[in-house]
Amino acid sequence: MSKYVPTIGIECHVQLCTKTKLFSEVDNDARGKEPNSCVSPVDYALPGMLPRLNGEAIRFAILAGRAMNCEINALSRFDRKHYFYPDSPKGYQITQFYQPIIGSGYVELPSGTKIRIEHAHLEGDAGKLTHFDGYSLVDLNRVDTPLIEIVSMPDIHSAKDAHDYCKELWRLMCYAGVTYGDLYNGNMRFDVNTSLAPEGSKKLGVRTEVKNLNSFRSVERAVEYEIKRQTKVLDSGEKVVQQTLGWSDTTGKTTPQRSKEVAADYRYMPEPDLPPIHLSAEFIEAESAKLPLMPSDYRERFKSVIAEDIMEALLDYPTLMQKLGEINEQYVKNVSNWFASVLLAEEKSAEYLNDLPSAKDLNELAEMNEKKELSSTATKEVFLRLFDPQMKGRGAKNIAKELGLIQENDLGALEKIVDAVLAKPETQKAQEDFKAGQEKVLGFLVGQVMKESRGKANPSAVSEILRNKLTK
Amino acid sequence: MVDMEIKREDILHLADLSDLSLTDEEVESLGKDLQDIIKYISQLDELDTKNVEPTYQVFEMENVWRNDEVVEQEADREALLALSEKSRDNQIEVPKVL
Repeated sequence: MSKYVPTIGIECHVQLCTKTKLFSEVDNDARGKEPNSCVSPVDYALPGMLPRLNGEAIRFAILAGRAMNCEINALSRFDRKHYFYPDSPKGYQITQFYQPIIGSGYVELPSGTKIRIEHAHLEGDAGKLTHFDGYSLVDLNRVDTPLIEIVSMPDIHSAKDAHDYCKELWRLMCYAGVTYGDLYNGNMRFDVNTSLAPEGSKKLGVRTEVKNLNSFRSVERAVEYEIKRQTKVLDSGEKVVQQTLGWSDTTGKTTPQRSKEVAADYRYMPEPDLPPIHLSAEFIEAESAKLPLMPSDYRERFKSVIAEDIMEALLDYPTLMQKLGEINEQYVKNVSNWFASVLLAEEKSAEYLNDLPSAKDLNELAEMNEKKELSSTATKEVFLRLFDPQMKGRGAKNIAKELGLIQENDLGALEKIVDAVLAKPETQKAQEDFKAGQEKVLGFLVGQVMKESRGKANPSAVSEILRNKLTK
Repeated sequence: MVDMEIKREDILHLADLSDLSLTDEEVESLGKDLQDIIKYISQLDELDTKNVEPTYQVFEMENVWRNDEVVEQEADREALLALSEKSRDNQIEVPKVL
């Protein structure tokens, strides 16, 4: 049986979370809003309307580019890409075909594999169509939502790497703060090109394109499916047909999309309504400096305290990593473990992660734990209460006190309790036995002291004091 | 380029891209018009533009950006929807496309 090397290239569209659209001063956040309620005459492409470029989108593009280690081009322009479809009242999409704002760079996967970025550019999104029996409805809320389209080099050679690349892109864009990153609502969409070539061949095979995937898992499954399908086609001596495919999560299959009979002919031309973007080195430098810490920065910073698998799990939550960044260094290990075991295991992440406890509370809690004022069980209990809307405002220390969880570490106070217990008649026999060499009765005595302290004594301190007193 | 000939297929291709249906007479006359326009524009080919920067715009402007602040629009949804031939459920209704 012949062997083939798969080659995968991915185009990713990222919706930017600017306040207004790319070319009009209209609300860009249409979540939960009525159709056509976030539109202006510019979005409607009424005659004479002039697009005006949103400066924030430029800044976001710089951040997104720097997050992918990309060059930022000093000069970029917009072009018109013509096509006729009801989702675009203008009859063209404003994009950057000839001179994109973001140049080449690379994304490093957690495995260390580097995927090169060919370029990335700014463009406006299209409207939304809903199809019914005999007619379609057009909602223009999404028209000209700013997008960054990221084009990878064909550096990906497995379904797993395709998955990891998309996930890493998602993380980078979320950490850079340029998108809400809500995949379910299409904030990031992936078009995946897959081709097979015989092992050792220098030429790439004929590729197919699966469009509009919106989850990492769909990307991985669609690539797996295409590799299998194309292998079969080639093995039977036939040729792969270059075509656009759709993917169904339900059937787990790709199917040809009804393609236009004529090849696409977009008749690109420079957009005369938008003057070019000319960025000075100082401006690029100043904006780049605003890039927050990236996943790779956190990996580097915490590599000696957070285990790799826990790190990769936590990295899916940018707000959580930012929080860890504010924690005193000596407590990061503990706090990250609480997050990992309590939060992620309980799968309450979504509701919890929107409203994390303050760094002050977490530091306070870690300190109490370190000073043995709280047992590990009590620490976890207080940790959970820090997410409780009823409790969280009160501070870690107060919550621990209110719940009566603080361990008695005051040696003087503990000694008094121990003395009281040792004076009780019912402990006399145990004291004799211990002195006679029966180690295990110490546990009974510790238990008595714990009972006397109503559970607040620190057991290891108690056992230390008992040992001292009984071996004198 | 001066001798570029607009064929019937070119007109049909352009019409197809713009979703226009043309009568035979229209194909004929549009072809002739387009041929004339291109012939006229082609006079520019006589000039040597080897060392001339392409013109993307005629104003020497750059970096015309606006602030990222929502501005209340004068034209509301109803006014805009009223411009379309048909609307339904606050959306523009169009013949079924896929």
